Parts: sequence; C-alpha cells; structure tokens
Amino acid sequence: MALFPLQANFRGDFVVLLIPVDDGDDMSIVADKVAQHAVGLRVAEKSAPKCVYYNGRELPSSMTVAQSGIQPMDWIEVAYV
Amino acid sequence: MPKLQRRDYYDIARDMNWAFSYVGEDEVFPEELSKSFGIHGEQWWGWDEPYKLTYREYVHNQAGKDDGIYSIRSTIARSNLYDNLDAGWKSAIKAHYGAIPVPEYFASIGEARMARFGRAAAWRNMATFGTLDECRHGQAQIYFPYCLLGKDPQFDWAHKAMHTNEWGVIAARSLFDDMFTANDAVSTAIQLTFTFETGFTNLQFLGMASDALHVGDIEFGALISSIQTDEARHSQQGEPTLKIMINNGRKAEAQKMVDQMFWRSWKLFALLTGISMDYYTPLESRTMSFKEFMQDWICRQFMDQFKDLGMNVPWYWEEHFLPELDWVHHAYHMGVWFWRPTVWWNPDAGVSAAERDWLEQKYPGWNDRFGKLWDVIGDNVRTGQIEKTYPATLPIVCNCCHIPICSPSIGKAPRITTHNGRKLNFCCEVCEWVWKSQPERYDTHLSIVDRFLAGHIQPPTLEGALQYMGITPDVAGNDAQAYAWNGASRLAAE
Ligand SMILES: [Fe+2]
Ligand SMILES: [Fe+2]
Repeated sequence: MALFPLQANFRGDFVVLLIPVDDGDDMSIVADKVAQHAVGLRVAEKSAPKCVYYNGRELPSSMTVAQSGIQPMDWIEVAYV
Repeated sequence: MPKLQRRDYYDIARDMNWAFSYVGEDEVFPEELSKSFGIHGEQWWGWDEPYKLTYREYVHNQAGKDDGIYSIRSTIARSNLYDNLDAGWKSAIKAHYGAIPVPEYFASIGEARMARFGRAAAWRNMATFGTLDECRHGQAQIYFPYCLLGKDPQFDWAHKAMHTNEWGVIAARSLFDDMFTANDAVSTAIQLTFTFETGFTNLQFLGMASDALHVGDIEFGALISSIQTDEARHSQQGEPTLKIMINNGRKAEAQKMVDQMFWRSWKLFALLTGISMDYYTPLESRTMSFKEFMQDWICRQFMDQFKDLGMNVPWYWEEHFLPELDWVHHAYHMGVWFWRPTVWWNPDAGVSAAERDWLEQKYPGWNDRFGKLWDVIGDNVRTGQIEKTYPATLPIVCNCCHIPICSPSIGKAPRITTHNGRKLNFCCEVCEWVWKSQPERYDTHLSIVDRFLAGHIQPPTLEGALQYMGITPDVAGNDAQAYAWNGASRLAAE
C-alpha cells in the first residue's frame, strides 16, 4: 500500500485535479476519490454508477491501481456511466 | 553663450554610431546580452523611431504627467471615492496592483539592458527613456495602493505579491522573467516592446481605463492612462527592430519570437484582464466584453499592423487561439473563485441572473458549459453548505503558462510528455510547443505542483500551501459580494 498521486478530472468539470490515491485502491474507490472533489461541488450529483477511463478505455471497477498499469501522475477521467 | 538650436545638435546626441577598432563587436555586444541573430554592425544603424525626444523634453513631459496624477491622488484622498466603489471593481484593481507594479521595475531592468546592449544609438537613447518610464510606473503604482492600505490590507500585496510564491505570481513572474528580466536586448525589443506592449498592454491600460471611468474610479483611470502614454512611446522600439530583422533575412526568427510571446502573454491576460472585464467590472459599467476587446484591439488592430510588416498570424491562430477566446477565461475565473483563499483579492462570482444573461449573450453556450457548474455552487451557498464551495486539493498546473489546466469541453485530455525523464504537463499544444522550443530555458523551473510533489510545501495541506504562498488570513480572498449574487443572505453564507 503506497500513496499514489494522479491527475484526474470528473467529466463535465472544468479543471484537472491532483488526486492522491493508494496503489491498493480499486477503481470504484478511485472513482469515489475523484468524485469527492467535483461531484456536488460543481458537477451535479446523479444516482448512477461511476467508472474510470484510462488511455481511452474503461477500467473494471474491481481492478486495483497497481494492476491497472497506471503510472504516478498519469491522467484519468471519471464519469457517470 | 548662445544655446545651440535643437536641429544643430539633436541627431549627434541621439544617434551617433561608430565602428569599433580597439575592441571587437562581440565584446561590446556579447551574444547572451544582445543577440545579433547574425546581423552585425552598420546593418543596425538605420534603426529609427518616430518620437525623437530630447532628454530636456522628456523630463519636462514626465514631470507634467506626474503632477497630473499625484494631484488627482491628493484631491481624491480627501473624498470617499474609494469607499463607494463596487466591491468587484475593487478586486479588479487589487489584482492589477499585485500583478503589475513590481514587474514594472523588472521591465526597467529589461529597458536598461537595451539602453546598453541595443545595437543602434537611437535605440539606446529611446531605451534610456524606457528605463526611466518603467521606474515611474513602478513608483506610482506602488504609491497609489499604499495610500489605500489604511482602508484594506489586501493592498499590501501591491508590494508583497512578486516577493512570494503565490501561484498566480509564479505564473506572472515566469512570463516576465522570460520576456524581459532575463532576456537579451534584441529579443526584448521583439517580445516585450513589440508583442507585449504594442499588443497586450493596451487591453489592461486602455481597456481597463475606459471601464474605470464608467465605474467612477477616476484615480485608477488617470493613473493607468498616464502610464499608457509612456508605453505608447517606448513600445516603438519594437517595430524598427523587427524591420531590421526582416530586411536582413531573419523574418522566421522574429516570427518565432512573436509567436512564443504572444501565446504566453495571451494566457496571463486571459487570467488578469479577462476575469476583471467580464466578471469583476459591474455589469452596467462594462464597455465591451473581454472577447470584443481582444477582437478589436488584438485580432484586428495589432494583427493588421503585424501583417503590414510582412509577418504572418501565429501558426496556432485558427486552431487554438480563436477557440480559446470563447472559453479559457471563464474557466480561469471559476478556478480563481473556487480557490479564492489562494489569491490576494476577493473574487466576485459575477453570476447574478442579469450577469448570466449578459455572459450567455456575449458567449453563446456559456450556460451550458459554465452556468451548470455555477448552479451547483449556488445551490450549496443557498443551503448553507459553504464548505462545499472550497477546494480540498490542488489543480494541476501547466509547466509553461503555470495556470491550472482547464478544459474547453468534455473528455479532453491534458498533454503529458517527458523531457530527459521528467514528466511534464501542458494545458495545450501551444504551451507544449513554446516549452519545447527552448527546453534549456525552462527545464529547471518547477511548477507549484512539482514543488508540492517534491515535498517543498509542508505540511502538504491547503494550510501548508497557503503558508508557502505567503497568504495570511487578513488578505486571503473571499467572495467579493458576500454571496449576494446568489440571493442568499450574508448569514447563510457564513
Ligand atoms: Fe510600464
Ligand atoms: Fe499552458
């Protein structure tokens, strides 16, 4: 388990954010950590599942950061499905 | 003894060039300080400018200008003019005072470098006046806010800002160092006096002066209009330098320098002037939108002048620059407002119902792109969830413009690249091009996010970041109108 900085934005927001995650977090946790800084703050909340996009593909929600191939300070996007 | 007539001495005093025989040209004009671009000696001697002042005339004119502005200041000091200004407008002038006065002194270093290392005597003469001009601008623009310190501690940042690592200051200082504090004489003439002063300073110094008169801020209007009369003169160093480069086959080099500095200047003016004009200036006092000012003064007047010299619009004009006119400063504004404790002024949200109508009319699509986000912010203010209107992390910052990386549309990725193993983030293709056009100039400079990740900011929290930026509780920004734009009561907001 180690601190892992990412750059991320929630789809529809206006800015890219520095988001610290943990390399053991799975994508549903990563999505929540990103949403925390945007959803309900600027992006309207929806009751829909969220997912993480990396290099143009959607990552499975059970995959961890360590398994995903994401490197520190890579960019991900989180969006409502 | 009878005085010589002006015509009998003037050109000897102003424009006496000579060929060197005891020393080499590269000793008189070292490349690092002067940069020949392969144009030597007498090829520079035709350099000329239209003002043709003597030192006596210069001193006489400048003393008159100073008499004018300082007497307005002392008259207004006895009135309550400042107290009656709109709160958003006060923020516009605080932003100006933090960003501009100390860099005027930096500009005087750049002018002094041209006064010594400019490659023609007429040019060095003009740059000597420019050096003195910039001292005057620094002095006046620190003195005026100093007089307002008793009314508001945020004016302290007129002097303090440039001595801190506040994020907007890092962006401004990076631009100004690149353009004039640490630039050679020939490049300074092209990048500062031509690109920046002939083009962009009009926006802040004439555009904001016309808004100031509508707002009733006679003091600020008079001050910056007076400064602009000097800028109009010393900016004339750019065109003759550009002409000599073009006539000696160095058009491509000159074009590149303009393209680089036009882009860097655009980003900073979008941040400073864009927000001030379209959000901080009260709606009834706005003369034109920021985009209209840009279209009229930059896209038309400045570019026409540039094209008349045989130059081309920058390569990124259609694809990158014109589209950014529609959105980039709206995103910067939202960022500045949301991260408001990190600035030395009180951001004015500027999104009351009437202002939103104006924004949608001037920038069709604004509601759909930015209004929606302001709706969520407004709901949080209305329901007293003010903690949700503050940030809990840093935005990612561009390694070229040092402004947070914002997005024009949905799903657009930032540009991430590596240089010698170092990971770099750019907000757009043009910032990446500028940086990569001279990596040796930029690659030791860390963005505020690089510094945070390298552990320079301790503790690594928002409080630690505010401390690193020099922001104290008495100046940290808050909403300029106490959230009145939202129809919420002051109580609910607190
Ligand atoms: Fe100036
Ligand atoms: Fe940038």
